[in-house]
Amino acid sequence: MMTTASPAVGTDTVAASAWWRRWLPTPKMLILGVVGLVIGYLALVPLYYLLWGTFFDADGVSVAGFERAYGNSQIFELIGNSLWFAAGAAVLSLVVGTALAYLNVRTDVPFKALFFAASIVPLIIPGILYTISWILLASPEIGLVNKLVEPVFGSGTFDVFTIWGMIWVEGLHLSPIVFLLMVAAFRSMDPSLEESALMSGATRWQVFRKVTVPLARPAIVASILIMVVRSLESFEVPALLGLQNGIYVFTSRIYFVLRSYPPDFAAAGALAVGLLILAIIGVALSNIVGRSGKNYQTVTGKGFRPRPMELGKWRSVVGAGIILYFILTVIAPLVVLLYTSLLKYYTAPTLNVFKTMTLENYRELIGMSKAVTALRNSLILGIGSATLVMAFMAIAAWFVVRSRVRGRQVVDQLAFVPLVIPGLVLGLALSFVYLRSPIPIYGTLFILLIAYCTRYMPYGMRYAVTSMHQISSELEESAHVSGASWWQTFRRVIVPLLAPGLLAGWVYILVVSFRELSSSILLYSPGNEVLSILIFEQFEDGEFTVLSALGVVMVLTLILLVSIAYKLGAKVGLNRTN
Amino acid sequence: MLRIDNLVKTFAGERRKRSRNGNGDAKGPAKIFAVNDVSFEVGEGELFTLLGPSGCGKTTTLRSIAGLERPDAGHIALTERVLFSSKPGEKPVNVPANSRGLGMVFQSYAIWPHMTVFNNVAFPLQVMKRAERPGKREISERVMRVLETMELASFADRHATKLSGGQQQRLALARAVVIEPSLLLLDEPLSNLDAKLRESLRYELKRLQRELGITSVYVTHDQIEALALSSKIAVMSDGSLVQMGRPRDVYQNPSNKFVAEFIGTSNFISGVVSGHNGERYTVETNDGRLLLDSAADMPDGTEVVVSIRPESMELSEQHRPGQPNQWSGNVLTRAFLGDSVDHVIGVGKHELRVRCNPSISIAPGTDVYLRMPPDRLSLVPVN
Amino acid sequence: MNAFKAGLVVASAAALLAACGGGPPTEGGGAAGEPNAKTADYSQWLELTGKERHDVLVTAAEKEGKLSLYTSLSAEVVDELADAWEETYEDIDLEIYRASGEEVLPRILQENAAGYGGADVVETNATEMEVLGNKGLLQPYQGDALQRVPAEGKFGTWTATRFNVFAPSWNTDIVKQGDEPKTWEDLADPAYKGKLALEIDDYDWYMGLHDYWRAEGKSEEEIDKLFQAMAANAKKVKGHSVMAEMTSSGQFGVAASNYTYIVEELKADGAPIELEPLVSPVILRPNGAGLMKTAQHPAAALLFKDWLLDDGQQVLQELNMTPSTDLEGDLGGTDHVMLDVEKVVAENEKWSKGYEQLLSGSAGTN
Repeated sequence: MMTTASPAVGTDTVAASAWWRRWLPTPKMLILGVVGLVIGYLALVPLYYLLWGTFFDADGVSVAGFERAYGNSQIFELIGNSLWFAAGAAVLSLVVGTALAYLNVRTDVPFKALFFAASIVPLIIPGILYTISWILLASPEIGLVNKLVEPVFGSGTFDVFTIWGMIWVEGLHLSPIVFLLMVAAFRSMDPSLEESALMSGATRWQVFRKVTVPLARPAIVASILIMVVRSLESFEVPALLGLQNGIYVFTSRIYFVLRSYPPDFAAAGALAVGLLILAIIGVALSNIVGRSGKNYQTVTGKGFRPRPMELGKWRSVVGAGIILYFILTVIAPLVVLLYTSLLKYYTAPTLNVFKTMTLENYRELIGMSKAVTALRNSLILGIGSATLVMAFMAIAAWFVVRSRVRGRQVVDQLAFVPLVIPGLVLGLALSFVYLRSPIPIYGTLFILLIAYCTRYMPYGMRYAVTSMHQISSELEESAHVSGASWWQTFRRVIVPLLAPGLLAGWVYILVVSFRELSSSILLYSPGNEVLSILIFEQFEDGEFTVLSALGVVMVLTLILLVSIAYKLGAKVGLNRTN
Repeated sequence: MLRIDNLVKTFAGERRKRSRNGNGDAKGPAKIFAVNDVSFEVGEGELFTLLGPSGCGKTTTLRSIAGLERPDAGHIALTERVLFSSKPGEKPVNVPANSRGLGMVFQSYAIWPHMTVFNNVAFPLQVMKRAERPGKREISERVMRVLETMELASFADRHATKLSGGQQQRLALARAVVIEPSLLLLDEPLSNLDAKLRESLRYELKRLQRELGITSVYVTHDQIEALALSSKIAVMSDGSLVQMGRPRDVYQNPSNKFVAEFIGTSNFISGVVSGHNGERYTVETNDGRLLLDSAADMPDGTEVVVSIRPESMELSEQHRPGQPNQWSGNVLTRAFLGDSVDHVIGVGKHELRVRCNPSISIAPGTDVYLRMPPDRLSLVPVN
Repeated sequence: MNAFKAGLVVASAAALLAACGGGPPTEGGGAAGEPNAKTADYSQWLELTGKERHDVLVTAAEKEGKLSLYTSLSAEVVDELADAWEETYEDIDLEIYRASGEEVLPRILQENAAGYGGADVVETNATEMEVLGNKGLLQPYQGDALQRVPAEGKFGTWTATRFNVFAPSWNTDIVKQGDEPKTWEDLADPAYKGKLALEIDDYDWYMGLHDYWRAEGKSEEEIDKLFQAMAANAKKVKGHSVMAEMTSSGQFGVAASNYTYIVEELKADGAPIELEPLVSPVILRPNGAGLMKTAQHPAAALLFKDWLLDDGQQVLQELNMTPSTDLEGDLGGTDHVMLDVEKVVAENEKWSKGYEQLLSGSAGTN
């Protein structure tokens, strides 16, 4: 890639080097080059495929796709709905995720462990199930919550089939992404920065607003960026909640143009290009914000002892709030899931229903021949892609944040590209390439691994870049002056300091990779099934009860994995909380 | 020992100020000279201080020596070893920071928060090239030896972040000297400490530097620190070196107003040279005539500024006949500082600060006489 | 600035790629007309009949040892079919790629364009089968089983194996006995306002019902009115399974166009959902199987298709599906109309757009 070939990389010319040595790449250059190339390759293949499909047809260059995509009387309403929905969900998830992360990391809030689980679980529950459990909870017709409050407020108090309902469900479902990002940010923030503000006479709220939030700005910007693009792209919630009352959004449109035969790639591409432009502007903006000074380097070489802020009399109030949140966002959907998984078909709970409950669905799950293979494959792919992506993105983040190579921003933007590429297009692009590749990757688990790495690269990059912004450059320079080579510095100083962010990204990727469907379904082959495909099959069969059982198993598996990861991570990374 | 010649470092100045030296050439990219043609030499075992206000280029100079910044031009050599060179026509040299074998203490200490005290200090030894790297046991011995010197041995297994400010500062120093570098670089190492600690560590630092005998380059904006520690001071302003010399010389004979102003407190009285006889000058000012000694060569009629330190003036309520440079004035305010008393004296339009022995304290409003010994006045050219 | 630079890089990279390699086909790999992979030779077996055909095929297929099926049959059905197949032909490994028709089609086209013979047999929706046939990727079938398939199930290059039956279904707690829809026209009854559910992808059903009403002698205007009244009654839902689930849980009172087998399954579990008496006529949409010209295991493919139209049909029937060889028996005398598959493919855009407009036009009337 041109970005890595820039001569500026080679600034470190060893004095004694022979003439030929200068032409040999240093390990640093080599590593950066490889990472840059891999990112470029992963991003450009589907992008090229997308752009080609968008701008070229049988007669050459054409923008007819744009006309078909945007030349619709309803497009403004669509865009309006989408933006409203995306902004709402982003704000909700940001507020909820940030507040939870702050309380969890920086205060002596009770039930911390429970709390941590509560904050991640919504991520683990597959989108379809999460949305459906909310229908079962808050539909005006059959919602359990509505039934519960009916004597007080009358029927149909909550209506999940409105734009507000959509924002609520999507916002809660996305909030773990923010939570993970913010936890990493808050963990590496010196509390004395806040304490000094407190001593200056500011109230807690002012401190939070004027000190904490500005210091966490890179993480907040990254969150907003991901949230907005994610909600613009979200399909399950608009499809299950929005369509019922005719609330159409951007993705509904992409869905419609891809659904028919021949699929209108030009129009879908044109819509994706719109998203792409939005996203690139977003990345550029977030980099400007992130770069504007060293103010965000909260991990400095001066030690700090994080003392959790004492909530005092508010402790019990906040504690109650957390229990309430936990019940609302985790227990309720999970209970619905668990409840459904014990039934033969969904029905509102009565005494009679409890008598007929059965473990039949779990038995069916065990009997499913593919379930074990799928679980194994999902584990391999999830752990593999999470590890690969975070390893590469750690280096890429250094490249983008610390190196002075011209054009390094392009790497950042490239890494963001896959976020806007529809899963189906990614699947097609990869199958197109690897069907023609001399290396037999098509039809193996590897092609899924490549797909997952591509899809989750943007998240990994955001997590890594955000953490990198927080690390004071002096920590790196001091290692360098101490005689450490670039690679030694990277391995022994940067990676451990990035650990909280890398771990958060790793957990996120692991968890969401279990749900990846849209490109998996096109790329898997017999024997390479993954869990999400099983879920999809159960879903298509209308086997909601078995599906719920599968969901319960998935949630338990991932909670176990995530706990192990954090236990291990605590040993590797910054040991600050103890 | 360390020799710097004609060091130049510019930054692209797209934002703030335009180049001072640029002659209005609007087409060329505006550049800010962070370091503009700086040369100096540091002798073996010396503690050389780069002193100046923030933004004067002292840190950039230090970072250029460390190899953390790449200068645009110049020559940096440590004894016989060239660290950086960009003479036209010659092969450019830029030894990477990690091959220079120097020790450096950063302003923020840059202690790695994920490592223990021991590991922080051991790191520079552990990352040495395989051929030079000492064995595990030797590393351990050397680290403990340094930690003992720094009185940190009992904290070896603690997490570095759990040390107090002063301990962290010593840890940073320990890490910098563990490889016994030929040159130690210190970037405002005391600026993060409270006043009391700063003072005690200042002497500690001086003692250690002497004991270890390491040639050091010290960067600070604190003139007291500079005066107390250094064998030699170089004052920098706007990227240029404005005066260099032993602390006493720089303090007593500032070569220009900037230095006089920056180092210590000075009173300035402007006037015109009206005559001179050898080194004895006569300067006419608005408030009277001043006699002073100066080695400077200034023709009659030159506009000058006369500077005098507050503690160099004498104050009394009585006129002392037969003494030169005796002016009358009025006490405007006074302040008790413990070890001294500051008076502000109004003389004509001037307000002069005089520092007196605590036994002398004159109430505001009193008429007084001010005496300025000719050998304590220095002549500073205007610009 | 950065965005612009990135854009430039991306654009130039794309241009470069385009310049040196040519681009991928614009329609998801569908540009290739002729299969590139080696074409299999079925001719030696197609003429054979009876036991001879079976024996020869079994021998050849066992030699091939493997069979690759691409299908959009539901997982449960596929599992049952696979079990039944393996019981009979344990030496012929059945490998199954399962996805919805929307993915099966592009995958096959993509593989075919690259000369990769992935599938031996395809079993999916009529629309997708028709496209594959039109592209010349399917080997026309010949065999004894064809005699049992009704004329409506025989297509040029593929054969119907089963029918999806569209019929209204309802929640028995919400719709009292006697109030259930008896004709398609009933769905437009304002009594169902806010209770009716329409599936957003059922434009083929929309076309089928439209054509039926036209054939009945209704004018376009009358039909439009009926559909609009229906849309005004309706909530929209995506996916037939969700539709059924939501109907049985009481979110919807009446589902306009669900597949009968999905409803019957829930009903068998005891859910309060009903579809009988069936509306008359029900609308049928065929699903079929075809032999890939590029099959790597042609004998096994042919054997499978023979089997699917014979013993396989019973498996389908047991799972509440409507097998193509016993249409009348399965429907038990209910009237039916068959969807015009060729028309759906040819006028795809018109009907899907029309249906989309119908549904979105009703936004806000709820």
